[in-house]
This record gives sequence, structure tokens and C-alpha cells, in this order.
Amino acid sequence: MNNATSPKGIYAIAPERRLGGAAHTALVQRRKAAEKRFRYYGLGALVVSLMFLVLLFASIIAKGWTAFEQTYLRLDVDFATDVLVPDGDRSEQALSSANYPALVKNAIWAAFPDVTSRGEKRQLQDLVSSGASFELRNIVMNDPSVIGTQRSVWVPATAFVDSLIKGQMDRSLPESERKLSDLQISWVDHLLSNGHIEKRFNTMLFTDGDSRDPELAGIGGAIMGSLYTMLVTLLLSFPIGVAAAIYLEEFAPRNRWTDLIEVNINNLAAVPSIVYGLLGLAVFINFLGLPRSSPLVGGLVLTLMTLPVVIIASRAALTSVPPSIREAALGMGASKMQTITHHVLPLAMPGMLTGAIIGMARALGETAPLLMIGMVAFIVDVPKSLTDPATALPVQIYLWASSPERAFVERTSAAILVLLAFMVLMNALAVVLRKRFERRW
Amino acid sequence: MNQPNTLTRIEDPAMAEIQPQQAQPTFSATEPAPEGHRTVGKITVDNPKMSARDVNVYYGEKHAIKHVELDIGTNEVIALIGPSGCGKSTFLRTLNRMNDTIDICRVTGNISLDGQDIYDRRLDVVQLRARVGMVFQKPNPFPKSIFDNVAYGPKIHGMTSSRAELEDLVRWSLEKAGLWHEVKDRLEQPGTGLSGGQQQRLCIARAIAVSPEVILMDEPCSALDPIATAKIEELIDELRENYSIVIVTHSMQQAARVSQRTAYFHLGDLIEVGETEQIFTNPEHKLTEGYITGRFG
Amino acid sequence: MSVSTDGHTVKRYDQQLGDLRSLVLEMGGLVEDQIQRAVQALQDEDLGTAREVIARDHVVNGFDVRADEEVVNLLALRQPVGSDLRLILSMAKTVTDLERIGDEAQKIARMVTHIFDGSSAPNQKLLRDVAGMAKLAANMLHGALDALARMDVDRAIEIACGDEELDTEFQSALRRLVTFMMEDPRTIGHAIDVLFMIKALERIGDHAKNIAEYVVYLVKGKDVRHVSIESLSAAGKG
Repeated sequence: MNNATSPKGIYAIAPERRLGGAAHTALVQRRKAAEKRFRYYGLGALVVSLMFLVLLFASIIAKGWTAFEQTYLRLDVDFATDVLVPDGDRSEQALSSANYPALVKNAIWAAFPDVTSRGEKRQLQDLVSSGASFELRNIVMNDPSVIGTQRSVWVPATAFVDSLIKGQMDRSLPESERKLSDLQISWVDHLLSNGHIEKRFNTMLFTDGDSRDPELAGIGGAIMGSLYTMLVTLLLSFPIGVAAAIYLEEFAPRNRWTDLIEVNINNLAAVPSIVYGLLGLAVFINFLGLPRSSPLVGGLVLTLMTLPVVIIASRAALTSVPPSIREAALGMGASKMQTITHHVLPLAMPGMLTGAIIGMARALGETAPLLMIGMVAFIVDVPKSLTDPATALPVQIYLWASSPERAFVERTSAAILVLLAFMVLMNALAVVLRKRFERRW
Repeated sequence: MNQPNTLTRIEDPAMAEIQPQQAQPTFSATEPAPEGHRTVGKITVDNPKMSARDVNVYYGEKHAIKHVELDIGTNEVIALIGPSGCGKSTFLRTLNRMNDTIDICRVTGNISLDGQDIYDRRLDVVQLRARVGMVFQKPNPFPKSIFDNVAYGPKIHGMTSSRAELEDLVRWSLEKAGLWHEVKDRLEQPGTGLSGGQQQRLCIARAIAVSPEVILMDEPCSALDPIATAKIEELIDELRENYSIVIVTHSMQQAARVSQRTAYFHLGDLIEVGETEQIFTNPEHKLTEGYITGRFG
Repeated sequence: MSVSTDGHTVKRYDQQLGDLRSLVLEMGGLVEDQIQRAVQALQDEDLGTAREVIARDHVVNGFDVRADEEVVNLLALRQPVGSDLRLILSMAKTVTDLERIGDEAQKIARMVTHIFDGSSAPNQKLLRDVAGMAKLAANMLHGALDALARMDVDRAIEIACGDEELDTEFQSALRRLVTFMMEDPRTIGHAIDVLFMIKALERIGDHAKNIAEYVVYLVKGKDVRHVSIESLSAAGKG
């Protein structure tokens, strides 16, 4: 509505609705309040997600940090000649199959000379891990001259003693509901008081393979398995992915076929990973006859899974290179390949690396496809090559998480911490690479 | 003697327009020239460097350039002007086959460089682009050092045999582009760190480093301030001694300042070609007149 | 739809060009009036009108200054090209010629005051040619301005060619004046005054011809000054 007093060419707005008018002021206040609320919604969401994250980390760390320590017993072992080499045969084979458990038994019995009954002796024996005899064998194998001498050796205690020392066992429970008897507890207290029990950093956790005995179980095998698997994945998915992306982005004509390929690549990235496991099982193991449970097959399967991610990330990186750079190079008389290798790839590399690393991090945490190709088997040995049976970190976590022993709970958490550490490392690497190679244009 | 009445005269509707000079079909600013339009003015020159004959460019279904015939003279600056989307940039890019990079683009007709058909299958497009260099609208130095920017072309074409020779060529190119004194102490710094005008001169140095015969410039000053623009224009005038230059520009003043001949494109048609002086004082075609005087476009 | 008649995208530019044309045509009207009044003053022996004409020349000069300012502004701010450039240049030159015509009209008026300054009245025979030439000159100027207003090349060429007639008139008038002076040397004083008047009218014809030629340049883009009548006609047809 134009009123007569308004100057020509200006629309007459009701006075209270003009800027600064009463209606407008109210509007401004409402808008400011809404903007404030809008900010708080975001902040609230951030706080909630951070809380979940903190909760997750707190619970994992609280459960897992104790696994980095292990209780050791000091035994005064008599490497008696008559036990180790009863028939005088000191060959390596004979030594490796000698009766080390007897040495352990003798040593622990010797520590408590007043324990005589057979049942109590057995209980006493149970304080020491079965890993102790392996420890003694290692000592003898490394240096056979110890035979016939006495030496004090630190050997791992059983998981129950470990729990007791770490305060995870409730002493007030009735004896029948405890894993350790009153007698065993009194022995442990005795050993503790004279310094024969000690907590040490748990190197076995990182060096050893899986074991039925929690105190002997380590993630060394799983780490190596994961590393081999990742190596295969990286070596295959990065070059193939980058090459595919370059073809699609720089060479392929835009038509229905390339559109179809593009849609399918995007779909493949969203396919549930277990499907890749089934595919790997069918193709690599059943058809091509590659060894089961091997990092090679695991790597191949994860390559299939990672490839779409790498291609998508690489294409995005290529697209983000300004076309003016390509034009400049082509206009100079650079060939297509020179344009790509001299100018486009260096500029796209940070993005491609970031994509590849994020894809790798995802592959590192992947469990389902590995289950399908048998990497879920109980494997004690640390794998030494791509074709050795192996397991991977996330699979190890899955395996331990389903074990009932208290000691496996803390090891599960510890393995998760290690896995998370690897993930953080890889993501940090992605950030560093991006910062290092990123150039302004 | 009758009393003249000036007021009635001013209101006389007849004076509101300039009478059509000759019987020309009427043209619309928004529609293409009628089928069979023939370019007004002289399309040929005595010593052509490049010549285009019956050139058509199609983007898929779209007929972007229609039967264009034009000579580009040796050591002349020819300006291509016209409203947006008139095909002047498209025509420019057919001259060094930059349109090849666009899938749906199809070129027919004949374009020759020194009498040799540049769309000949046997011709190496890479070599063509070295002979017909290009400078783009937005300065686009490579994200490399100033030295490497200029040295890149000679390197890929193997034009120098030693580092000393290469350094000499880089220096010569930068001097020719009037940039040497501004950058001689920071050749190792990134080319992207220069000002817009310096970047554009770097791009020109980069283009002339491979000793082209023709330089195509696609609105080279549209992103620059007036002083940088003046420097580029001065440079264009100097370069004319040794190169043929085709410049697309949206600034008619710029076309008037730097070029010897001017060609006016309108919706894919080459409407008029002529000496720049003639185009800007007395264009023959009404569309040219309308465009240069700011009646549309 | 014809492109050139659409007017400029910038409306203000059109308005400024229109203002300049109006100013020049208005000045032309004023100058025509000056000539007419000066000649009328001579015929009516009206010293008052003659003095008015002399005094009014500064108005003509004022128009000249204003038009020049407009031209400079347009050149500086619009950077005109093509027909706009030709229009502005033609207007600038027309203004100069109009200013000169104004001066000639003032000169005639001054001669009128000189002849009728109270001493003996001049022989009417002496003045006979002035009226005829004045009519011719005024018609030429009127026609030139009309051609300018209508962008009428044919008319302009007609006017430019008409200058020859005025020149012939001037020559014969001059001969007659010489005859009078030889017959009766007492008329020499007045005859010289009349001579100045017819010379002024002849100059007015030249300026009108110039204006007509600017019209050809404006419309055709061809400079037709200093060419023969034959090629002038050819330019009009071309």
C-alpha cells in the first residue's frame, strides 16, 4: 500500500514495521534468541558426542590398562642334571623335550618346604603359569651350561594370582566362589611379603601369539597378521585405485557406461563388508586355492573392500585440482600424460593419500570379511610370511571378547587400545601428509 | 523568413533515430543472424599467419560457431569482441585445438597455420600448441617456482641442452615479458605468490618461452586492475613485433587500444571484421554498431 | 526490431546525448533569429533592434560554452565510439560554426548601427542585394539545421551544394558595389559597410555548408569536407 506522503519510487512500509520500528525490534529479538538457541543445539550435540567418546575411552582404559602389567613369581630353580638329561643325551632335540614342568614343580615346592600333602602341593603348583616351563626351556636352550646349576628365575604367575595381585579378586567372598583357595592366598601373601612376587611390564602381550592361558596370550601374532594384511591391501588398493580414478577422471568419455561404472563404484563402497568376505572365500580360497587364514587372502579381500573408497577419494582429489592448471599445461604443449604426472597428480596426491589412509584405517578395523576367510582360527604362532595362517587385531579382539576368563577381559581392552592407537597413528599420518604436500594455487 | 521553432524540432520523432544507412536486413540482439549471413568487411589479409575457412563448431547439438572465415595476419593483433556466449572464446580455442579436450565438441571446416591444416590427423597437437601458445583469463601459473614455471615448456619440448642455456632462456622470456626486474631475486619462490598482473605476465613469459608463432589470449586482463592491465597492453604491443596475437576481450576500449583489426562475433556468427579504427568509428553492420556503442550486450 | 534504435542500455547516456542535441539545435534556433533580426533591423532602419542583436551575442557564446562542457563530459565519462562518437564530434563542430555565425550576425547588426548613425541615409540601391543574400543564407542555415535534426543526408547534400549559389550572389553583389563606388565616390563609406554585411552573409553560408557536411559525416561516417560537389553527391548515394 503506497500512501501519498511517501516519496516517489519508495515503497511505503507501515511505520512500526520499518527498520527500528516496534514490530521490527521484536523480530530482531526473536531472531537473536533463535540464533543463540541454534548455537547451543550444536554445542549440545558436540558435548553429547564427546561424552560418549570419553565414556568409551574411560571404560576401555580402565579395563585395559592393567593388562600392560603381568605378575611374575621368583623361583629358585635347580636345573638338576638328573631331571633334564636322565640318559645323558644333550642333543638339542632331547633338551627341547626334557621334563621342564618337573623343574617348575620342584622349584615351587622347594619354596614352601612345609607343604607336604599331595593336594596342597597341587594347589601350590597351580600358582605358576604353564608358561613357566617354556621360560625354563628357553633358558636351557640358549645356554645349556646352566644344567646342573641353581639360578633364580622370574616366571609368570597364573592369571588368578595376577588378578589377586591387581586387586581384581574379592578376598571376602566365600572360598568356594573364589578361584584361589585361602591357602593359595596365604602363599601368595607370603611370597609378596618376601619380594618373590612382582608386577612387571607385560612384554609377552606384544610379542606372543594367542594362548588358552590368559597370562600367556599376546597380540603379537595379531599385530603381525594385521600388518601383513595391510601391506597387501596398501600395495594393491592404492595403485589400482589411483590408476582407476585417473582413467575415469581424465580419460574416460562421459557417457552412459561411465555413469554406470560411477554408480556401481559408489554402491560397492556401501556393500556390507561380510559380502566381500564371502566373495573372497569363493574366489580366492575355493576357486584360486590360496591358503586359508592367510594375510594374503585377507589383504586381497580388504583390497576389494577398500578399492571403492580409494577410487572415490582419488577422484575427488583429482576433481579438486583446478582445471586451469590442466589448461595451462595443455596450452603449453604438454601431452596428456605429462599434464597428469607433472601437474595434476602432485596436486591431487595429498587428497589421494588421505583417502587411501582413511580407507586403510577402515580396513584395519574390519572383522567380518576376515571371519569368512578363516582368519578367525585359534593361531598360536606369530605369522612369518604372507601365506602363514594368521589372525588380525580386530579378530583377536572378537575372539577374546567371547572368552569367559576375567583375565581375557582386560586383554580384550588392551588389544582395543592398541588397535585404537594404530588408528590414531594412521589418521595422524593422513593429516601430516596432507599438511606436508598441500600446496596453494 | 519564417520564425524557426527549435522546440517543435526537438520533439520531432524523426530526429530520435539515425536513419538506416542502407537496405540491410533487420537484426535482433537476441537472435542469431539469418541463415547465410556473410561477414561484413575484409576477412583476408596480405600475409596471413593462420586462416580459418568455413569453420563450424558444435557442442553436441548446439551450433556454437557458424561458417566463420577469418585470416590472422603476421605480426598483427586481432581482437575478437562480442557479447557473452557469442563464440569468440570458442573460436579462439579452435585455433590451438584446446577444444579437443571437450568430448562433445566437434569442429568442421579448415584452419591452417602457415598453410598447413591444423586439424590434419598426422599433425601432432602437442607441437601445434607449442607453436600456438595460449594465455588464459585467470592467471594460472603452476604451483611451482617462478623459474620452473617458465622452464617447464622448454624442458618438455627439449629445447635447451644445458642448464645454463635453460637459465638463459628463462631470463630472456622473463625480460621479454617485462617481469625480469621484478622477480630476478626470487626465481625460486612460488609463482603463485606474485600479484595478479605479475602472474599474468609470468604466464605470458611461460608461453613465449617455447617460441610460439601465434599467441592466443582469452580475456587476459579481465581479472586485473587498470595499471596491471596497462602493463599487459603495453606488453602485447611490444610482442606484436615478433608474434601474431589473437585476443578475446570484453573491454571494447582494450580492443580499440591494442588491436590493429577487430572481429565482431554475435551468437556464433562472425558479423564484421575490419580495421580497428573503422570498427570503432564507423562500423558497417548495425549489430556491431549496437554492440560497441552499448545499445545491447 | 532494429538494434540501433533500441537506445543505450544505460538510459542516462541516451538522455545526455539527447540533451546535447537539443542544446545545439536550440542554439541554432537562436542564431537563426539573430540573423533574421539583424537583417530586419537593416530593412526597418531600426537601431534599437540592431543594438539588441549585438547585446544578445553573449547568449550565443553562453550556449557555445555549455555545449563544449557537455561534449567534454561525454567524451571523458562515456568514451563514445561509433555513431555516438560521430554525433558528439559533429555537435562539437556544429557549435563552433554556430558561434561564428552568431558573430557574423552581430557584425551585420554593428554595420546597421554604423550606417544609420544619424548622418545621411544610404542609397537604398546599395542595400538591395543584402536582403536577397540574407534570405539565401538564412535558408541555408535553416536547411542545415533541419537536416541535422532529421539526420537527413539528402537534404544536407542539397544545402552543401547550395553554397555555390550564395557565392555567385556575393560575387555579383560585389561587382555592383564596385560599380556604385566608381559612379559616385561619395557612396564609398556606405558601400564598404554593405560590403562587410554581404561578406558576413557569405561567411554564414560557408558555416551552414560546414554544418550540412557534418550531417553527412554523422550519418555516413565519411568526411565530405574539402571535396568537389560531384563526389559529395556520390557520397550521399553511397
